[in-house]
Amino acid sequence: MIETDILVIGAGPAGSTAAKHAAMAGSSVILMDKKSEIGSPKRCAEGVSKEGLKKLEIEPSERWVTKELSGVRMVSPNGTAVNLTEDKVKLPEAGYILERKVFDKYMAMDAGRAGAKIMIKTLATGMKREDDQMVVTAERMGEEFQIKAKIVIAADGPESRVGRWAGLRTSLKPKDMESCAQFEMAGVEMEEPDCIEFHFGSVSPGGYAWIFPKGDDIANVGLGVLTTMTDKSAYEHLLEFVENNPATKNAQAVELNIGGDPVGGLLKKKVTDNVLVTGDAASMVNPLTGGGIISGMLGGRIAGQVAAQAVMEGDYSEKGLGIYEELCERELGKSFEKYLKAKDYLLSLSDEELDQIAEVFKDSDFETINTAEMVRKLVKISPKALLKLGKLF
Amino acid sequence: MIVKEWCMYCGECAGVCPRNLIEVREISLNFNKEECKDCRICVKACPVQALEKGDD
Repeated sequence: MIETDILVIGAGPAGSTAAKHAAMAGSSVILMDKKSEIGSPKRCAEGVSKEGLKKLEIEPSERWVTKELSGVRMVSPNGTAVNLTEDKVKLPEAGYILERKVFDKYMAMDAGRAGAKIMIKTLATGMKREDDQMVVTAERMGEEFQIKAKIVIAADGPESRVGRWAGLRTSLKPKDMESCAQFEMAGVEMEEPDCIEFHFGSVSPGGYAWIFPKGDDIANVGLGVLTTMTDKSAYEHLLEFVENNPATKNAQAVELNIGGDPVGGLLKKKVTDNVLVTGDAASMVNPLTGGGIISGMLGGRIAGQVAAQAVMEGDYSEKGLGIYEELCERELGKSFEKYLKAKDYLLSLSDEELDQIAEVFKDSDFETINTAEMVRKLVKISPKALLKLGKLF
Repeated sequence: MIVKEWCMYCGECAGVCPRNLIEVREISLNFNKEECKDCRICVKACPVQALEKGDD
Protein backbone atom coordinates (compact mmCIF):
# COMPACT_ATOMS: atom_id res chain seq x y z
CA MET A 1 0.00 0.00 0.00
CA ILE A 2 1.22 3.51 -0.88
CA GLU A 3 1.16 5.95 2.02
CA THR A 4 1.00 9.73 1.86
CA ASP A 5 -0.01 12.66 4.04
CA ILE A 6 -2.40 14.14 1.49
CA LEU A 7 -4.05 12.63 -1.56
CA VAL A 8 -5.58 15.08 -4.04
CA ILE A 9 -8.06 13.47 -6.44
CA GLY A 10 -8.45 15.48 -9.63
CA ALA A 11 -5.73 17.54 -11.33
CA GLY A 12 -7.80 20.44 -12.61
CA PRO A 13 -6.74 23.94 -11.57
CA ALA A 14 -8.27 23.55 -8.08
CA GLY A 15 -6.68 20.16 -7.41
CA SER A 16 -3.25 21.16 -8.71
CA THR A 17 -3.33 24.35 -6.65
CA ALA A 18 -4.29 22.37 -3.54
CA ALA A 19 -1.47 19.89 -4.19
CA LYS A 20 1.06 22.65 -4.81
CA HIS A 21 0.27 24.53 -1.60
CA ALA A 22 0.12 21.38 0.52
CA ALA A 23 3.52 20.31 -0.83
CA MET A 24 4.98 23.78 -0.35
CA ALA A 25 3.92 23.59 3.30
CA GLY A 26 5.93 20.39 3.76
CA SER A 27 3.36 17.58 3.40
CA SER A 28 3.92 14.51 1.27
CA VAL A 29 1.33 14.80 -1.51
CA ILE A 30 -0.02 12.62 -4.30
CA LEU A 31 -2.01 14.31 -7.08
CA MET A 32 -3.99 11.83 -9.20
CA ASP A 33 -6.15 12.27 -12.28
CA LYS A 34 -8.17 9.75 -14.23
CA LYS A 35 -7.28 11.31 -17.57
CA SER A 36 -4.33 10.41 -19.75
CA GLU A 37 -3.74 14.08 -20.50
CA ILE A 38 -4.28 16.65 -17.78
CA GLY A 39 -6.45 19.52 -19.04
CA SER A 40 -7.91 17.63 -21.98
CA PRO A 41 -10.64 17.69 -23.08
CA LYS A 42 -11.40 21.17 -21.82
CA ARG A 43 -14.83 21.78 -20.37
CA CYS A 44 -14.85 25.50 -20.16
CA ALA A 45 -14.84 28.84 -21.96
CA GLU A 46 -11.31 29.52 -20.64
CA GLY A 47 -11.79 33.05 -19.29
CA VAL A 48 -9.92 34.27 -16.20
CA SER A 49 -9.53 37.68 -14.59
CA LYS A 50 -6.18 39.41 -14.36
CA GLU A 51 -7.04 40.25 -10.77
CA GLY A 52 -7.62 36.57 -9.97
CA LEU A 53 -4.26 35.44 -11.32
CA LYS A 54 -2.60 38.24 -9.40
CA LYS A 55 -4.32 37.15 -6.21
CA LEU A 56 -3.01 33.63 -6.79
CA GLU A 57 0.48 35.03 -7.48
CA ILE A 58 0.57 33.45 -10.93
CA GLU A 59 2.42 35.33 -13.64
CA PRO A 60 0.59 35.16 -16.98
CA SER A 61 2.63 33.16 -19.51
CA GLU A 62 2.48 33.47 -23.28
CA ARG A 63 2.48 29.67 -23.35
CA TRP A 64 -1.04 29.50 -21.96
CA VAL A 65 -2.58 32.94 -22.54
CA THR A 66 -4.15 33.05 -25.99
CA LYS A 67 -5.76 36.46 -25.79
CA GLU A 68 -5.73 39.54 -23.60
CA LEU A 69 -9.14 41.18 -23.39
CA SER A 70 -10.06 44.82 -23.28
CA GLY A 71 -13.74 44.61 -22.53
CA VAL A 72 -17.11 42.95 -22.47
CA ARG A 73 -19.97 43.10 -24.95
CA MET A 74 -23.43 42.14 -23.73
CA VAL A 75 -26.05 41.45 -26.36
CA SER A 76 -29.81 41.34 -25.83
CA PRO A 77 -32.13 38.97 -27.74
CA ASN A 78 -32.81 41.50 -30.54
CA GLY A 79 -29.08 42.15 -31.00
CA THR A 80 -28.79 45.43 -29.08
CA ALA A 81 -25.30 45.55 -27.61
CA VAL A 82 -23.96 47.19 -24.49
CA ASN A 83 -20.19 47.56 -24.63
CA LEU A 84 -18.20 47.83 -21.43
CA THR A 85 -14.52 48.41 -21.45
CA GLU A 86 -12.10 47.31 -18.77
CA ASP A 87 -11.32 50.82 -17.56
CA LYS A 88 -15.02 51.46 -16.89
CA VAL A 89 -16.24 48.30 -15.22
CA LYS A 90 -14.77 45.13 -13.74
CA LEU A 91 -16.38 41.81 -14.61
CA PRO A 92 -15.23 38.72 -12.76
CA GLU A 93 -14.11 36.65 -15.75
CA ALA A 94 -12.63 39.43 -17.91
CA GLY A 95 -8.92 39.52 -18.41
CA TYR A 96 -7.40 36.67 -20.40
CA ILE A 97 -8.54 33.72 -22.46
CA LEU A 98 -6.43 30.68 -21.66
CA GLU A 99 -5.44 27.55 -23.51
CA ARG A 100 -6.70 25.21 -20.80
CA LYS A 101 -4.96 22.17 -22.21
CA VAL A 102 -1.66 23.93 -21.61
CA PHE A 103 -2.64 25.89 -18.49
CA ASP A 104 -3.89 22.86 -16.56
CA LYS A 105 -0.72 20.95 -17.31
CA TYR A 106 1.38 23.89 -16.19
CA MET A 107 -0.50 24.09 -12.90
CA ALA A 108 0.05 20.35 -12.36
CA MET A 109 3.73 20.78 -13.23
CA ASP A 110 3.95 23.54 -10.61
CA ALA A 111 2.48 21.11 -8.08
CA GLY A 112 5.07 18.54 -9.15
CA ARG A 113 7.89 21.07 -8.82
CA ALA A 114 6.66 21.91 -5.32
CA GLY A 115 7.09 18.22 -4.42
CA ALA A 116 3.76 16.54 -5.22
CA LYS A 117 3.87 13.14 -6.90
CA ILE A 118 1.65 13.18 -10.00
CA MET A 119 -0.21 10.06 -11.09
CA ILE A 120 -2.06 10.30 -14.42
CA LYS A 121 -4.54 7.82 -15.89
CA THR A 122 -5.35 6.84 -12.32
CA LEU A 123 -8.98 6.47 -11.32
CA ALA A 124 -10.24 6.38 -7.74
CA THR A 125 -12.81 3.58 -7.54
CA GLY A 126 -13.60 3.53 -3.84
CA MET A 127 -12.74 4.94 -0.44
CA LYS A 128 -13.02 3.77 3.16
CA ARG A 129 -11.86 4.97 6.58
CA GLU A 130 -9.28 2.81 8.34
CA ASP A 131 -7.33 3.59 11.53
CA ASP A 132 -8.12 7.30 11.48
CA GLN A 133 -6.98 7.56 7.84
CA MET A 134 -8.56 7.13 4.41
CA VAL A 135 -7.78 4.22 2.12
CA VAL A 136 -8.54 4.95 -1.52
CA THR A 137 -8.70 2.13 -4.04
CA ALA A 138 -7.34 3.18 -7.42
CA GLU A 139 -6.88 1.73 -10.88
CA ARG A 140 -4.16 2.52 -13.36
CA MET A 141 -3.64 0.74 -16.68
CA GLY A 142 -5.33 -2.43 -15.43
CA GLU A 143 -3.54 -2.47 -12.08
CA GLU A 144 -5.49 -2.03 -8.84
CA PHE A 145 -3.79 -0.65 -5.77
CA GLN A 146 -4.50 1.26 -2.58
CA ILE A 147 -3.34 4.60 -1.25
CA LYS A 148 -3.55 5.41 2.44
CA ALA A 149 -3.78 9.12 3.20
CA LYS A 150 -4.26 11.17 6.31
CA ILE A 151 -6.33 13.63 4.32
CA VAL A 152 -8.07 13.31 0.95
CA ILE A 153 -8.85 16.46 -1.03
CA ALA A 154 -11.69 15.79 -3.46
CA ALA A 155 -11.17 17.96 -6.54
CA ASP A 156 -12.89 15.57 -8.92
CA GLY A 157 -15.18 18.03 -10.63
CA PRO A 158 -18.94 18.48 -10.66
CA GLU A 159 -19.40 14.72 -10.98
CA SER A 160 -17.52 14.23 -7.69
CA ARG A 161 -17.97 10.79 -6.20
CA VAL A 162 -15.21 11.16 -3.64
CA GLY A 163 -17.18 13.67 -1.57
CA ARG A 164 -20.20 11.38 -1.66
CA TRP A 165 -18.13 8.39 -0.58
CA ALA A 166 -17.21 10.48 2.44
CA GLY A 167 -20.87 11.17 3.17
CA LEU A 168 -20.97 14.73 1.82
CA ARG A 169 -23.88 15.78 -0.36
CA THR A 170 -22.03 16.86 -3.48
CA SER A 171 -24.69 15.70 -5.94
CA LEU A 172 -26.47 18.57 -7.62
CA LYS A 173 -30.09 19.23 -8.41
CA PRO A 174 -30.76 19.93 -12.10
CA LYS A 175 -31.65 23.54 -11.26
CA ASP A 176 -28.14 24.01 -9.86
CA MET A 177 -26.23 22.46 -12.77
CA GLU A 178 -26.01 24.16 -16.13
CA SER A 179 -25.70 21.86 -19.08
CA CYS A 180 -23.08 23.35 -21.38
CA ALA A 181 -21.93 22.85 -24.96
CA GLN A 182 -19.22 24.74 -26.78
CA PHE A 183 -17.46 24.77 -30.11
CA GLU A 184 -13.99 26.08 -30.65
CA MET A 185 -14.41 27.72 -34.05
CA ALA A 186 -12.35 29.34 -36.78
CA GLY A 187 -13.71 31.97 -39.14
CA VAL A 188 -15.54 33.85 -36.37
CA GLU A 189 -16.32 37.44 -37.33
CA MET A 190 -16.74 39.37 -34.08
CA GLU A 191 -17.88 43.00 -33.91
CA GLU A 192 -15.38 43.61 -31.10
CA PRO A 193 -12.64 40.98 -31.39
CA ASP A 194 -10.94 42.13 -28.17
CA CYS A 195 -14.07 41.74 -26.06
CA ILE A 196 -15.76 38.70 -24.61
CA GLU A 197 -19.36 38.53 -25.73
CA PHE A 198 -22.42 37.41 -23.75
CA HIS A 199 -25.84 36.79 -25.32
CA PHE A 200 -28.85 36.70 -23.01
CA GLY A 201 -32.44 35.54 -23.23
CA SER A 202 -34.27 32.60 -24.75
CA VAL A 203 -31.25 31.79 -26.89
CA SER A 204 -30.00 29.96 -23.80
CA PRO A 205 -32.73 29.33 -21.20
CA GLY A 206 -31.41 29.53 -17.65
CA GLY A 207 -27.97 30.69 -18.70
CA TYR A 208 -26.36 32.64 -21.51
CA ALA A 209 -24.42 32.12 -24.70
CA TRP A 210 -20.85 33.33 -25.09
CA ILE A 211 -18.23 34.09 -27.69
CA PHE A 212 -14.77 34.26 -26.17
CA PRO A 213 -12.06 35.30 -28.64
CA LYS A 214 -8.81 33.33 -28.75
CA GLY A 215 -6.94 35.51 -31.25
CA ASP A 216 -7.20 35.90 -35.02
CA ASP A 217 -10.58 34.52 -36.13
CA ILE A 218 -10.68 31.80 -33.45
CA ALA A 219 -13.18 31.76 -30.57
CA ASN A 220 -14.89 29.56 -28.03
CA VAL A 221 -18.58 29.72 -28.89
CA GLY A 222 -20.81 28.10 -26.34
CA LEU A 223 -23.77 28.24 -24.03
CA GLY A 224 -25.18 26.88 -20.81
CA VAL A 225 -28.81 25.99 -20.20
CA LEU A 226 -30.78 24.81 -17.19
CA THR A 227 -32.49 21.59 -18.21
CA THR A 228 -35.38 22.59 -15.93
CA MET A 229 -36.11 25.46 -18.33
CA THR A 230 -35.88 23.81 -21.75
CA ASP A 231 -36.74 20.56 -23.48
CA LYS A 232 -33.87 20.88 -25.93
CA SER A 233 -30.33 19.78 -25.20
CA ALA A 234 -27.48 22.27 -24.79
CA TYR A 235 -26.06 20.99 -28.08
CA GLU A 236 -29.31 21.71 -29.95
CA HIS A 237 -29.39 25.23 -28.54
CA LEU A 238 -25.76 25.69 -29.56
CA LEU A 239 -26.42 24.65 -33.15
CA GLU A 240 -29.26 27.18 -33.36
CA PHE A 241 -27.14 29.93 -31.84
CA VAL A 242 -24.24 29.34 -34.20
CA GLU A 243 -26.52 29.29 -37.22
CA ASN A 244 -28.34 32.49 -36.30
CA ASN A 245 -25.51 34.62 -34.96
CA PRO A 246 -23.87 36.92 -37.53
CA ALA A 247 -20.43 36.34 -35.99
CA THR A 248 -20.55 32.56 -36.26
CA LYS A 249 -22.81 31.68 -39.17
CA ASN A 250 -19.80 31.30 -41.50
CA ALA A 251 -17.45 29.83 -38.89
CA GLN A 252 -16.40 26.20 -38.63
CA ALA A 253 -16.03 24.08 -35.52
CA VAL A 254 -12.74 22.34 -34.86
CA GLU A 255 -13.63 21.09 -31.38
CA LEU A 256 -16.75 20.24 -29.37
CA ASN A 257 -16.72 20.51 -25.58
CA ILE A 258 -19.53 19.62 -23.23
CA GLY A 259 -20.06 19.38 -19.49
CA GLY A 260 -21.93 20.47 -16.42
CA ASP A 261 -21.35 23.75 -14.61
CA PRO A 262 -22.37 23.83 -10.93
CA VAL A 263 -23.98 27.25 -10.60
CA GLY A 264 -26.08 26.82 -7.46
CA GLY A 265 -23.69 28.53 -5.06
CA LEU A 266 -21.03 27.19 -2.71
CA LEU A 267 -21.57 23.68 -1.32
CA LYS A 268 -22.71 24.14 2.29
CA LYS A 269 -20.71 21.34 3.90
CA LYS A 270 -17.29 20.83 2.36
CA VAL A 271 -15.52 19.04 5.20
CA THR A 272 -15.78 15.82 7.10
CA ASP A 273 -13.25 13.71 9.00
CA ASN A 274 -10.12 13.33 6.80
CA VAL A 275 -11.79 14.83 3.70
CA LEU A 276 -12.01 18.29 2.11
CA VAL A 277 -13.93 19.05 -1.08
CA THR A 278 -12.76 21.81 -3.41
CA GLY A 279 -13.17 23.34 -6.88
CA ASP A 280 -16.17 22.40 -9.01
CA ALA A 281 -16.81 19.46 -6.68
CA ALA A 282 -17.67 22.05 -4.01
CA SER A 283 -19.53 24.27 -6.51
CA MET A 284 -16.83 26.94 -6.32
CA VAL A 285 -18.25 28.54 -9.42
CA ASN A 286 -19.55 32.08 -9.77
CA PRO A 287 -23.31 31.45 -9.98
CA LEU A 288 -23.84 34.41 -12.32
CA THR A 289 -21.02 33.96 -14.82
CA GLY A 290 -20.43 30.22 -14.46
CA GLY A 291 -16.70 30.95 -14.25
CA GLY A 292 -14.85 28.72 -11.83
CA ILE A 293 -11.15 28.65 -12.68
CA ILE A 294 -9.99 31.39 -10.31
CA SER A 295 -12.53 30.68 -7.58
CA GLY A 296 -11.67 26.96 -7.71
CA MET A 297 -7.98 27.74 -7.44
CA LEU A 298 -8.57 30.10 -4.52
CA GLY A 299 -10.54 27.30 -2.82
CA GLY A 300 -7.82 24.80 -3.75
CA ARG A 301 -5.14 26.98 -2.20
CA ILE A 302 -7.09 27.18 1.04
CA ALA A 303 -7.68 23.40 0.98
CA GLY A 304 -3.96 22.66 0.46
CA GLN A 305 -2.87 25.03 3.21
CA VAL A 306 -5.49 23.85 5.72
CA ALA A 307 -4.71 20.19 5.00
CA ALA A 308 -0.96 20.71 5.43
CA GLN A 309 -1.52 22.55 8.69
CA ALA A 310 -3.74 19.71 9.92
CA VAL A 311 -1.02 17.17 9.07
CA MET A 312 1.50 19.19 11.08
CA GLU A 313 -0.88 19.32 14.02
CA GLY A 314 -1.93 15.67 13.69
CA ASP A 315 -5.64 16.52 13.75
CA TYR A 316 -7.56 15.36 10.64
CA SER A 317 -10.98 15.48 12.25
CA GLU A 318 -13.87 17.47 10.85
CA LYS A 319 -13.39 19.88 13.73
CA GLY A 320 -9.68 20.23 13.04
CA LEU A 321 -10.31 20.89 9.34
CA GLY A 322 -13.32 23.12 10.05
CA ILE A 323 -11.40 26.34 9.44
CA TYR A 324 -11.60 25.44 5.72
CA GLU A 325 -15.34 26.21 5.72
CA GLU A 326 -14.78 29.56 7.37
CA LEU A 327 -11.98 30.61 5.01
CA CYS A 328 -13.92 29.54 1.90
CA GLU A 329 -16.96 31.44 3.10
CA ARG A 330 -14.84 34.53 3.57
CA GLU A 331 -13.06 34.18 0.21
CA LEU A 332 -16.00 33.11 -1.96
CA GLY A 333 -19.27 32.60 -0.13
CA LYS A 334 -20.32 36.18 0.46
CA SER A 335 -19.76 37.32 -3.12
CA PHE A 336 -21.49 34.19 -4.44
CA GLU A 337 -24.62 35.09 -2.47
CA LYS A 338 -24.78 38.42 -4.29
CA TYR A 339 -24.17 36.79 -7.67
CA LEU A 340 -26.96 34.30 -6.96
CA LYS A 341 -29.40 37.17 -6.40
CA ALA A 342 -28.26 38.94 -9.56
CA LYS A 343 -28.69 35.69 -11.50
CA ASP A 344 -32.15 35.20 -10.05
CA TYR A 345 -33.06 38.66 -11.36
CA LEU A 346 -31.53 38.03 -14.78
CA LEU A 347 -33.42 34.77 -15.19
CA SER A 348 -36.70 36.46 -14.30
CA LEU A 349 -36.47 38.83 -17.30
CA SER A 350 -38.30 38.23 -20.55
CA ASP A 351 -36.62 38.78 -23.92
CA GLU A 352 -38.56 42.05 -24.26
CA GLU A 353 -37.34 43.30 -20.89
CA LEU A 354 -33.76 42.39 -21.76
CA ASP A 355 -34.08 44.32 -25.02
CA GLN A 356 -35.43 47.34 -23.15
CA ILE A 357 -32.57 47.21 -20.65
CA ALA A 358 -30.00 47.00 -23.44
CA GLU A 359 -31.67 49.94 -25.18
CA VAL A 360 -31.51 52.06 -22.02
CA PHE A 361 -27.88 51.23 -21.23
CA LYS A 362 -26.34 50.95 -24.69
CA ASP A 363 -25.12 54.56 -24.69
CA SER A 364 -24.56 54.91 -20.96
CA ASP A 365 -21.30 56.19 -19.64
CA PHE A 366 -20.48 53.54 -17.05
CA GLU A 367 -17.66 55.67 -15.73
CA THR A 368 -20.10 58.19 -14.31
CA ILE A 369 -23.33 56.24 -13.78
CA ASN A 370 -23.91 55.42 -10.11
CA THR A 371 -25.59 52.35 -8.66
CA ALA A 372 -28.74 54.16 -7.56
CA GLU A 373 -29.24 55.56 -11.04
CA MET A 374 -28.68 52.13 -12.56
CA VAL A 375 -31.27 50.52 -10.28
CA ARG A 376 -33.70 53.39 -10.95
CA LYS A 377 -33.45 52.73 -14.68
CA LEU A 378 -33.94 48.98 -14.17
CA VAL A 379 -36.98 49.51 -11.94
CA LYS A 380 -38.54 51.71 -14.59
CA ILE A 381 -38.38 48.76 -17.02
CA SER A 382 -39.41 46.13 -14.54
CA PRO A 383 -40.42 46.82 -10.90
CA LYS A 384 -39.19 43.37 -9.85
CA ALA A 385 -35.66 44.77 -10.03
CA LEU A 386 -36.35 46.61 -6.80
CA LEU A 387 -37.35 43.40 -5.07
CA LYS A 388 -34.62 41.23 -6.50
CA LEU A 389 -31.72 43.69 -6.60
CA GLY A 390 -32.63 46.05 -3.78
CA LYS A 391 -30.65 44.14 -1.14
CA LEU A 392 -27.57 43.85 -3.29
CA PHE A 393 -26.45 47.42 -2.90
CA MET B 1 -29.23 2.62 -19.51
CA ILE B 2 -28.07 2.79 -23.10
CA VAL B 3 -25.00 4.96 -23.66
CA LYS B 4 -24.91 6.19 -27.22
CA GLU B 5 -21.74 6.07 -29.26
CA TRP B 6 -21.41 9.88 -29.20
CA CYS B 7 -21.18 10.10 -25.37
CA MET B 8 -18.18 12.29 -24.49
CA TYR B 9 -17.87 11.13 -20.86
CA CYS B 10 -18.21 14.69 -19.54
CA GLY B 11 -19.72 13.42 -16.29
CA GLU B 12 -22.71 15.73 -16.06
CA CYS B 13 -24.98 12.70 -15.66
CA ALA B 14 -22.93 11.54 -12.68
CA GLY B 15 -23.07 15.01 -11.11
CA VAL B 16 -26.88 15.08 -11.07
CA CYS B 17 -27.49 11.40 -10.24
CA PRO B 18 -29.16 11.63 -6.81
CA ARG B 19 -27.99 8.12 -5.88
CA ASN B 20 -24.34 8.32 -6.99
CA LEU B 21 -24.77 5.36 -9.34
CA ILE B 22 -22.70 6.53 -12.31
CA GLU B 23 -18.96 6.06 -12.55
CA VAL B 24 -17.29 8.14 -15.27
CA ARG B 25 -14.08 6.73 -16.63
CA GLU B 26 -11.96 8.38 -19.31
CA ILE B 27 -13.80 6.62 -22.12
CA SER B 28 -16.58 4.66 -20.49
CA LEU B 29 -19.56 5.04 -18.18
CA ASN B 30 -20.58 2.45 -15.60
CA PHE B 31 -24.15 2.41 -14.28
CA ASN B 32 -25.27 0.58 -11.19
CA LYS B 33 -28.48 -0.70 -12.80
CA GLU B 34 -29.73 -2.55 -9.73
CA GLU B 35 -29.95 0.60 -7.60
CA CYS B 36 -31.39 2.86 -10.34
CA LYS B 37 -34.88 4.20 -9.56
CA ASP B 38 -35.49 5.32 -13.15
CA CYS B 39 -35.72 9.04 -12.31
CA ARG B 40 -34.11 9.85 -15.70
CA ILE B 41 -32.49 13.03 -14.39
CA CYS B 42 -29.27 11.89 -16.04
CA VAL B 43 -31.03 11.41 -19.40
CA LYS B 44 -32.36 14.97 -19.33
CA ALA B 45 -29.07 16.48 -18.15
CA CYS B 46 -26.90 15.10 -20.94
CA PRO B 47 -25.76 18.01 -23.15
CA VAL B 48 -25.76 15.81 -26.28
CA GLN B 49 -28.64 13.39 -25.56
CA ALA B 50 -26.30 10.44 -25.38
CA LEU B 51 -28.28 8.54 -22.72
CA GLU B 52 -31.42 6.55 -23.26
CA LYS B 53 -33.36 4.48 -20.81
CA GLY B 54 -33.36 0.91 -22.07
CA ASP B 55 -35.75 -1.94 -21.32
CA ASP B 56 -34.12 -3.55 -18.30
